[in-house]
Amino acid sequence: MNQSDNSNSLMTVVWIVVAFVLLVVGGLIIAEATPLVLPPQASAEAAQVDELFKIMMALGGSIWLLVQGAIVYSVIRFRARPGDDSDGPLIHGNSTLEFIWTLIPSITVVILSIISFQVWVDITAARDNAQHVQARGARFLWSFSYEIPGETQTVNSPVLHTWVGQPVVLSLETTDVNHAFWVPAMRIKQDLLAGRRAEARFTPVLAGEFPVVCAELCGSGHGGMQASIVVHEDEESFLAWFDDEAFIILNPPDDPAEGGELLMTAGGVAGLYACAGCHTLEALGWDAIVAPALDGVADRAATRVPGMEVERYLLRSLYFPGEFLVPGYDNLMPQHQYQDPEQANYMPLEEGVNIVAYLCTLTAGGESACNVDMIPDMMSEMGMG
Amino acid sequence: MATITTTPGLGIRSDGGAAIRASDLLRWTLDHKLIGLQYMASSLFFFIVGGAMAMLIRWELLTPALDLMADGTQYNALMTMHGSVMIFLWIIPMMAGFGNYLVPLMLGAKDMAFPWLNAFAFWLIPPAGVLMIAGWLVGPPEAGWTSYPPLSTIFSPDGQTMWAMSLHLLGISSILGAINFVVTIRNMRPEGMTYWKMPLFVWAVLATAIIQVLATPFLTGGLTLLILDRVAGTSFFDPGSGGDVLLWQNVFWFYSHPAVYIMILPGFGMVSEVLSVHARKSVFGYRAIGLSSMSIALVGFTVWAHHMFTSLQPALRIPFMITSMIIAVPTGIKIFSWLGTIWGGKIRFTTAMLFALGFISLFVFGGIGGVMLASVPVDIHLHDTYFVVGHFHFTLFGGSVFLIFAGIYHWFPKMTGRRMDERLGQIHFWAAYVGFFFTFVPQHIAGALGLPRRVAMYDPQFTNINTVISLAAFLLGISSLVLVYNILRSLRHGEPVGGNPWRALTLEWATTSPPPPWNFRGDPVPYDDPYGYGSDEATAYLDAVDRRFPAPEEAAGA
Repeated sequence: MNQSDNSNSLMTVVWIVVAFVLLVVGGLIIAEATPLVLPPQASAEAAQVDELFKIMMALGGSIWLLVQGAIVYSVIRFRARPGDDSDGPLIHGNSTLEFIWTLIPSITVVILSIISFQVWVDITAARDNAQHVQARGARFLWSFSYEIPGETQTVNSPVLHTWVGQPVVLSLETTDVNHAFWVPAMRIKQDLLAGRRAEARFTPVLAGEFPVVCAELCGSGHGGMQASIVVHEDEESFLAWFDDEAFIILNPPDDPAEGGELLMTAGGVAGLYACAGCHTLEALGWDAIVAPALDGVADRAATRVPGMEVERYLLRSLYFPGEFLVPGYDNLMPQHQYQDPEQANYMPLEEGVNIVAYLCTLTAGGESACNVDMIPDMMSEMGMG
Repeated sequence: MATITTTPGLGIRSDGGAAIRASDLLRWTLDHKLIGLQYMASSLFFFIVGGAMAMLIRWELLTPALDLMADGTQYNALMTMHGSVMIFLWIIPMMAGFGNYLVPLMLGAKDMAFPWLNAFAFWLIPPAGVLMIAGWLVGPPEAGWTSYPPLSTIFSPDGQTMWAMSLHLLGISSILGAINFVVTIRNMRPEGMTYWKMPLFVWAVLATAIIQVLATPFLTGGLTLLILDRVAGTSFFDPGSGGDVLLWQNVFWFYSHPAVYIMILPGFGMVSEVLSVHARKSVFGYRAIGLSSMSIALVGFTVWAHHMFTSLQPALRIPFMITSMIIAVPTGIKIFSWLGTIWGGKIRFTTAMLFALGFISLFVFGGIGGVMLASVPVDIHLHDTYFVVGHFHFTLFGGSVFLIFAGIYHWFPKMTGRRMDERLGQIHFWAAYVGFFFTFVPQHIAGALGLPRRVAMYDPQFTNINTVISLAAFLLGISSLVLVYNILRSLRHGEPVGGNPWRALTLEWATTSPPPPWNFRGDPVPYDDPYGYGSDEATAYLDAVDRRFPAPEEAAGA
């Protein structure tokens, strides 16, 4: 072996080392972008998932640079010069090289699998003293129910409340189609499959308000099916919210219309009604557009069916939503029933009456358009109750 | 012979006649070449239809609120149709078109094994396409191309049933076509061409056909249950009556993940041809590329549930993560082998080559994103977000469609006798590459930051990034029109070519462009090494082919 062969192979080794170092450094620089492409880390799990994400960004970044580098180098170095019609050298392969580029990716994916498995075991481990919350997805609204100690009623909320450092276990169910409960800031996602109960756990570490997003196509209002999580600073702050809500639930107002408003915002015996998922109602801050707006509904109810009373129209529309469809809207409203308390679509008649009483107050002038006392007679006449 | 360039008709035969008459595309024929062109023409039509839908989608997403669409239902119908058309009526039949045109030619055969079956398989596609699009007349499907129940059973209108029936027809077409390929490749290779001497495109078509035959019946079965649930009152997917919504997800993905490889493997085969020919160098690691196609086909059957990491029972998630990671290895082998192929070659920057190089450059990004999605903890965050949308467009557009483009520029001269316009081709490539990059890279970022897929309304924090995506997508859309214009223009005005304009060694080039009705006069003898560029024997062989099938001007001069 002569001198020039030696120095050539030495140069090759030097180039390989230089390229390797450049690729590693490049990958590490790319990995530094990780926090820029992910939401805030609001849970203990998020930190672990992001670490894994970062490892993959580094490895993936290096591989990406390697391939792009090889393409750019080849394009410049191995382009056919003008006038050169000849072919390249006849080379069919190189077993050593092929072995190496099979082995290295194999080892890489094994390592990634092992790390992923470890992170998975960690983030799904059961935590002590968890806060249990029932979460429901219904087209197109999330609702969360908390048990009130010693009572049968629950506190129902469209916002999930918890506090920093408190492990949360969510029991998830859907009342209609599949949904997916996703909290980007917590890095958790769990599908809600029709007919099954699912579970999700996380431990918030950051106080603040974070979006909850539906990640499984559920119909026309899917994009608007959002809620939020409020992470309180501490348990005391959480309890301040919770006790207020529980007090209202345990001491319902006597006025049926006020009771109806409470039902539509805080729910009834079967949890939160999903009205806000589809209807606009400015008075309550609802802005969904899947179903007819409820502002001024009592005025329109008076004229929709000639000869029909407002009370009757609203009551029928509440329990039999397919009967009077507003032009331009499909029959999409969940069908509620008042007979079977075991079913998810249960709406007892007394709650229905209160809701109608509240809807009756949605007039241009703000005065109720109904005589609420008439409703029970009307119901027995219709064979309800 | 200046008159040749103004000959009426589409394309040009070596005797100066028109290569293709438009009426040929509309008639029942058993010629595999015409059937291949029928596949391609109908697929290109649906590519434009699906592309127009994509443009409407991106228009809607310029702003966070609904503006172009009246309601979310319209948007859902549009994105359902966009996905279904692009997958089932563009990429899969387009690949079948290339297979039909090229496989018999590459094997030196006169036709496919079952010519009548071949024609029948094609003629299932137009009615299937009509059936799918006609869904808009009765209420279009709106449950996404994945059509998960109960959304697809209870809430989606009758167009959903037509969608399922359309996929039934396309499934039958796919199975029949695949059987034909397996039998053709098994039995009709010329003397001397062992499996290990087949062009890599033929290897890829064989692997694809095996997947199609084994996987497509599962889709057909699932669709049958879906149709029964919708029209016959059964409850296979209704949990209220003992059914299970997860059953659909398992069956659907048992087909639809392998379908990803149905869409990409033929392209992998095409790129092996294109890179080798235009870099003037043998493919690097022939056996590794052929075997990796087969191992992808095999392992591809074991990864389906990685589409279900957020719905599958937790204990099953890890095994599917491992198989999904493993499938990255044969894909990596291919990418490195392609780099080895161009390394040290004499690269010609034809448009076909640009798209092949652009494919490698883009596909590696898609592959890395795929490994990230295979990891359960990372996927839990990224599943059903725009990260996934970006990822599968990287593999299906940056992958399959870029390879289809490379294939069109590469084989157009063979099919029509005319070359495509290179200047328009370069414009097409650069607009497509840049448009693609700025459409689908930002989608990864938006998804990771919290943008779910399949939404017509989104959080206003994503307005700017969606504007960038939409503008880049419009550029991508326009670039495709450049391709269509180039095809139509080159059919009439392209430079006439001889049998082997790229000086390639595989057999489809050892005949006239376009080939005569029975492909070859006599039985052609394949060159022993389909990629043996760089030897004196190969040069002598190519010179002989050039003398026998010269370009028209040379013929005139001789």
